[in-house]
Amino acid sequence: MSDSLTREEVLHVARLARIKLTEEEIEKYSHQLKTLMDDVDKIKEVKLNSEERVITPTEEVTVCREDVAGEMLDPEEIMINVPNSNGNFVEVPVMIDE
Amino acid sequence: MSKYLDLGIKELHNKLVNKEIKPKDLVLEAFERIEANQDLNAFITLDKEGAIKRAEELENVESDSLYYGIPIAIKDNIVTKGLRTTCASHILDNFYPIYDATIIETIKNNNMIIIGKTNMDEFAMGSTSQTSYFGAPKNPWNKTKVSGGSSGGSAVCVSAGLVPFALGSDTGGSIRQPSSYCGIVGMKPTYGRVSRYGLIAFGSSLDQIGPMTKTVYDNALLLNLISGHDDKDLTSSRKPVDDYTRLIGKPIDGLKIGVPKFFMSEIVSDEVKSKVEEIIKLLEDNGAQIEYIDIDYIENAVTLYQIIAMGEASSNLARFDGIKYGFSKKDPEGIDDLYESTRGEGFGEEVKRRIMVGSYLLSGDNAKIYYNKALQIRNGIRESFLKAFEKYDLIIGPNATTTAYNLGEGLDDPLKTFLDDILVIPVNMAGLPGMNVPIGFGKDKLPIGLQIIGDEFEEAKMYQLASFIEEKLNLDLDPFKEVK
Amino acid sequence: MYTKTIGIEIHVELKTNTKIYSNSINGYGKTANSNVNVVDLGYPGTLPTLNDAVIRTALKAAIILNCDINKRMHFDRKNYFYPDLPKGYQITQAETPIGVNGYVDIDVNGETKRIRIHDIHIEEDTCKSIHYKHHSFLDFNRAGVPLVEIVTEADMHSAEEAMAYVEKLRELFLYADISDCKIEEGSMRCDVNISISKTDELGVRAEIKNIGSISSVGKAINREAARQEELLENGKEVTFATYRYDEKKDETIMMRVKEAGNDYRYFPEPDIPFVELDDEIIKEVTESIPMLASERRKIYVQRGISELNANKIIQNRDISDYLNNFLDTDINLVQASNLLLGDISAYLNKEEKSIFNTKLDTNKFIDVVNKLDKGEINSKVFKDILVDLMEKEDSVDEIISSKGIKIISDPEELKKIVLTILENNQNSVNDYKNGNERAIKFLMGQIMKETKGSANPELVNKLLEEELKK
Repeated sequence: MSDSLTREEVLHVARLARIKLTEEEIEKYSHQLKTLMDDVDKIKEVKLNSEERVITPTEEVTVCREDVAGEMLDPEEIMINVPNSNGNFVEVPVMIDE
Repeated sequence: MSKYLDLGIKELHNKLVNKEIKPKDLVLEAFERIEANQDLNAFITLDKEGAIKRAEELENVESDSLYYGIPIAIKDNIVTKGLRTTCASHILDNFYPIYDATIIETIKNNNMIIIGKTNMDEFAMGSTSQTSYFGAPKNPWNKTKVSGGSSGGSAVCVSAGLVPFALGSDTGGSIRQPSSYCGIVGMKPTYGRVSRYGLIAFGSSLDQIGPMTKTVYDNALLLNLISGHDDKDLTSSRKPVDDYTRLIGKPIDGLKIGVPKFFMSEIVSDEVKSKVEEIIKLLEDNGAQIEYIDIDYIENAVTLYQIIAMGEASSNLARFDGIKYGFSKKDPEGIDDLYESTRGEGFGEEVKRRIMVGSYLLSGDNAKIYYNKALQIRNGIRESFLKAFEKYDLIIGPNATTTAYNLGEGLDDPLKTFLDDILVIPVNMAGLPGMNVPIGFGKDKLPIGLQIIGDEFEEAKMYQLASFIEEKLNLDLDPFKEVK
Repeated sequence: MYTKTIGIEIHVELKTNTKIYSNSINGYGKTANSNVNVVDLGYPGTLPTLNDAVIRTALKAAIILNCDINKRMHFDRKNYFYPDLPKGYQITQAETPIGVNGYVDIDVNGETKRIRIHDIHIEEDTCKSIHYKHHSFLDFNRAGVPLVEIVTEADMHSAEEAMAYVEKLRELFLYADISDCKIEEGSMRCDVNISISKTDELGVRAEIKNIGSISSVGKAINREAARQEELLENGKEVTFATYRYDEKKDETIMMRVKEAGNDYRYFPEPDIPFVELDDEIIKEVTESIPMLASERRKIYVQRGISELNANKIIQNRDISDYLNNFLDTDINLVQASNLLLGDISAYLNKEEKSIFNTKLDTNKFIDVVNKLDKGEINSKVFKDILVDLMEKEDSVDEIISSKGIKIISDPEELKKIVLTILENNQNSVNDYKNGNERAIKFLMGQIMKETKGSANPELVNKLLEEELKK
């Protein structure tokens, strides 16, 4: 078994995570990602004593909120942190496959 | 140099009420100390102007709260309105939140004064704070050693007495482990005890905010302040808040304490093991009953943590896309480039590694093979701990397998950071409270800490044991003693 | 001969005051980015809350669709990157939808057919985006608007069945106050999956997204089926892909090829603990369901309203609700429904008003229907007083007299007029006596003309018949 991912495999997970990698990073991660992936494979050997899951470690059940409106932001306040805004809108490069 | 900040919250409160000192005196003292110790790199952002202004305003405010005028340092993954909050990441290095975390509202309502935002691992991913975009903080006991992480900046800040009261967050040991390395008291409360609203999520089902202080008593006082239900966090508990100081100073005879065998196995260094054994002896001599126990799946906790924390993180960090806030790739070639370049340039190495592996672990059939199974084993750990607590009042062991190690060590080993946390992760898996109390020093006078684990919402009992140890050992925990 | 196999996914926006996971206002017609808070923007550190009205409304929908209810449910994250998705994931329900295994009965060509519902689940809407040249513009007002998605089994086999299903669902949800179901405005969105096959084995399906109207659902299905048939007949294959339907060109246009197993990296949402639906809330919600369309239709027909008119009433929820006020009174319901569908609807449409925003209260309506029924006024008078009925507080009698309209119901006075008319129209009288019954209509008309429409028509008719038979 190889101790590295192929270039394609690295690029595939990078694409899943929407992360652009430099050539240097692809090289570095091909080994590191494989190390991590192999390590978590240990879980396959673990025998279960129950099918029950913990999604979040609390006994609380959700208590719903009443359907009453609260405070909202001014569009200007929103735009403070928006890298590219246009009037009241948030601007992005054109979205494909709408 | 004045030394008011060596006092506890109660003493400071009395002096503030008597008008012997003013909040501004404490703020100025904190900044004196911070400026004299800039090499520790404990803070990412300081708010000197804001803190002084607030301190001056408080001169005309009734000192009705115990916390009035007390300075506090906040880990930089807790959002503060108008005060830069970076998560130690390039992607947020110019981010000014437009709202306050619930606990920040509480702190402000109680007239505490925020001094600044402490250094940490980027997005809390790491065990040494070395993944910070702003460089690693240094351990005050030995500046060539790591502070631990991810709440390294808060641990350094408290240990060095810059600001002796701080908040950290703990996803897989990030309060307890640096507290152990830096010789301070750190509490990760029961999952749901403290609101997470405004804590920038890493692993949502694991994250919890907690206090980091010099003393057990101050720690309990801070937990009193920040605990409680929050309508904005559905996972926050509706259980009434305890007075966490109520058992401090009470005798420990009759307490039943379990020690997981795994915690004292060969994974722990000899000096740490023998120090913990000394404590076990001390407790037995004082009437506590100690038994060695087994916790199911405890040896699998790191694997579960890798899967659950990286999986949740890959989803939690998807929102950083250069569209609504934060760093954004200039003039992207298109929408894909906006995403990929913003995230490629904005995130550091460790964060990218974890997001990629997390995405992989949730993709296709992997979600079932890894993630779902991890949730099932997680239930096994939690059940086993809860069962142990039917018999034992508390569980103890070390927090870290060694004392603080050299800066620069292990950065390229993707597994090291997880293995550093092998003893602290099980608590997050089970949702239980866990804390660190200093119990002595190893070679080169580096601190060693004891981990105390409680049943759900039994933090008061943990403080009881911690305060007993604190009082009995009466350690000198000033890292600069010899220097001064 | 190819058989069409059709499954439908419908997204419906729920009628609530606030969004699903935050307490900002549910309404996106206004100024861009004005109904938004930090939760809707996916700000770092924010967490979802859960709107009680969303749970109740979705539960109502699940009950109406005859679903088994998941009494302990959680939410799931559907992870994908798209600028209209602020958190980079959508909080939806994958493992434990609120309702599963339901059904809807539809009527097509006089036959009832059962369409099985695979599931109904709760989720959040995305931002609205506008595209202009090289940029898209995002409005987060729609982000977090509550939706339910209803997924059928592939149980439909014709355009007519598909249209009947969509219409039925729209009618159900409209009448249960779940959504305003405006397809054109996007509060109800239909995605149709269609394949064709000559055998029992299903063909490769195409998904047609976001079809703009119910009639387009039918057209798109027929168009796409024809396209697929042509491909197969020419030995080509259908591509597993997503299409949109261009109404003007009557054409399905490919948007993107579906990747095998779209990788949404689902996992259970850790920020929302289990939601428990106990018997009490199920009972409460069940009891809150108003009379639905099918039951209304049945009652209307039983009460003598034609099936055509009953359907017309159902199509206008306000009119139906208004009419239902009188189900327990003894007014002539046919007369009432004719008024509501005729002159009253014309007025309401012209004024763009709801009948509930007029001055025509129930007492006034009963009065005016009875007057028409007894012949105290005729339809011409009704037309004359309509605007005042709708816009003035005055009683029917007050309005009639203020208009200067006098209803002549005095037999003596009317008899004089009748006799004068008969005298002046001997030809018509002779016609009638020679068996031309229609002549009486002409005479009646002459009397109305003479009295400017104010004669009690029933009485005139009676008097005319009496006099002519002498």
